[in-house]
Amino acid sequence: MPPHILERVATAGDPALRDIARRTLALSAGVRSERRIAPVRPAAPTEDFVPDRTIKDAGYRTELPGDTVRAEGGPATGDPVADQSYEWLGTTFDFFEAAYRRNSIDGAGLPLISTVHYGRDYDNAFWNGEQMVYGDGDGVLFNAFTASLDVTGHELTHGVTQYAANLEYYGQAGALNESMSDVFGVLVKQWHLGQQAADADWLVGAELLTDEIAGVALRSMKEPGTAYDDPRLGKDPQPGHMDGYVDTYRDNGGVHINSGIPNRAFYLVATALGGNAWEKAGKIWYDTLTGGKLSATADFATFAATTVVTAAALHGDDAPEVAAVREGWAGVGVQA
Amino acid sequence: MRVRVVRTGGFAGVERHGESDSARDPVLARLVDRVDLDAVPPPGRIPDQYLYDIDIDGSTATVGEAQLNGPLRELVHHVLG
Repeated sequence: MPPHILERVATAGDPALRDIARRTLALSAGVRSERRIAPVRPAAPTEDFVPDRTIKDAGYRTELPGDTVRAEGGPATGDPVADQSYEWLGTTFDFFEAAYRRNSIDGAGLPLISTVHYGRDYDNAFWNGEQMVYGDGDGVLFNAFTASLDVTGHELTHGVTQYAANLEYYGQAGALNESMSDVFGVLVKQWHLGQQAADADWLVGAELLTDEIAGVALRSMKEPGTAYDDPRLGKDPQPGHMDGYVDTYRDNGGVHINSGIPNRAFYLVATALGGNAWEKAGKIWYDTLTGGKLSATADFATFAATTVVTAAALHGDDAPEVAAVREGWAGVGVQA
Repeated sequence: MRVRVVRTGGFAGVERHGESDSARDPVLARLVDRVDLDAVPPPGRIPDQYLYDIDIDGSTATVGEAQLNGPLRELVHHVLG
């Protein structure tokens, strides 16, 4: 049994909640994960990238991809969930273009597909290797997973990672994969809001929890382990330092737990460097993820060392940015 | 037979546990008879999908959300519900 405070929804006294939980649990879909190697044609420096979005509606069923309700440039559907998903996809696409000159998930204009209204009371969102999928939440514990911009940023970044370093979704490489998604997820939000590192809340999924839940978000990059503490959800299990690293086979080796460690390292680097986090710290992380030097099975120490190499390549060996990156990793107990 | 199910993963990373004994649960007993844990395919590495760890009297399997179908889906549903 991992040192993880357990959720108690399934044994909660409220029968309606138990029923909701039951329906959320057993879902299936023909999902699969695959890596596609696409040759990327370098874009002209002035080329304006344009997204190719398609929003599909699963109609509360679990078959993917569902029926198209809005294609790129099409009129608003009137369904706030579908229209919000369309907007957040556009914002995330624009962020990767503006911050890193990346043309979509694969760097080559890959169409963006999101399916909304997946399942009934489905408390989740995921990337299935080809598209994003969003549940509406149960309305008691969780709101719709389209509520937070950083969730769209998170899921889309799973696609970016798949086409870049393709970090294996297990153990430390898997926790790094999760952390990449949290990092660029919050950076999309900060960019959208025009927030500097010092002014941001560094929360993941702040809009997902209903008012019923004792918590501020699902994860905190600033203070992992403090996002929620609720009788029904349990307590945020994330460590923010290697001292609290959780050895478990569950959750693909704790990918959603130990991601707190690299998440906090990024927060420390970003706040040390100051200004807009997507510009300096984000660029170092982005170049590390996409630079071709990172192994798919990289552990925390390997990733950390690669961020130092990236920072030196961007700013020079003796630059303060390099020192800040080393100190950030030292702050979470990882030797870079 | 004692059946334990743990759901992990998902974007939220919130665990959920359930346990039941077929000696006191005739519905579970019928479901267990229809389930073959050895026939379950590996879960795959799909970011943020739910994973289900299933333990039937010490015989175990991890099932991905995408592979959760038929009697196994009913069993997971029953034990976690």
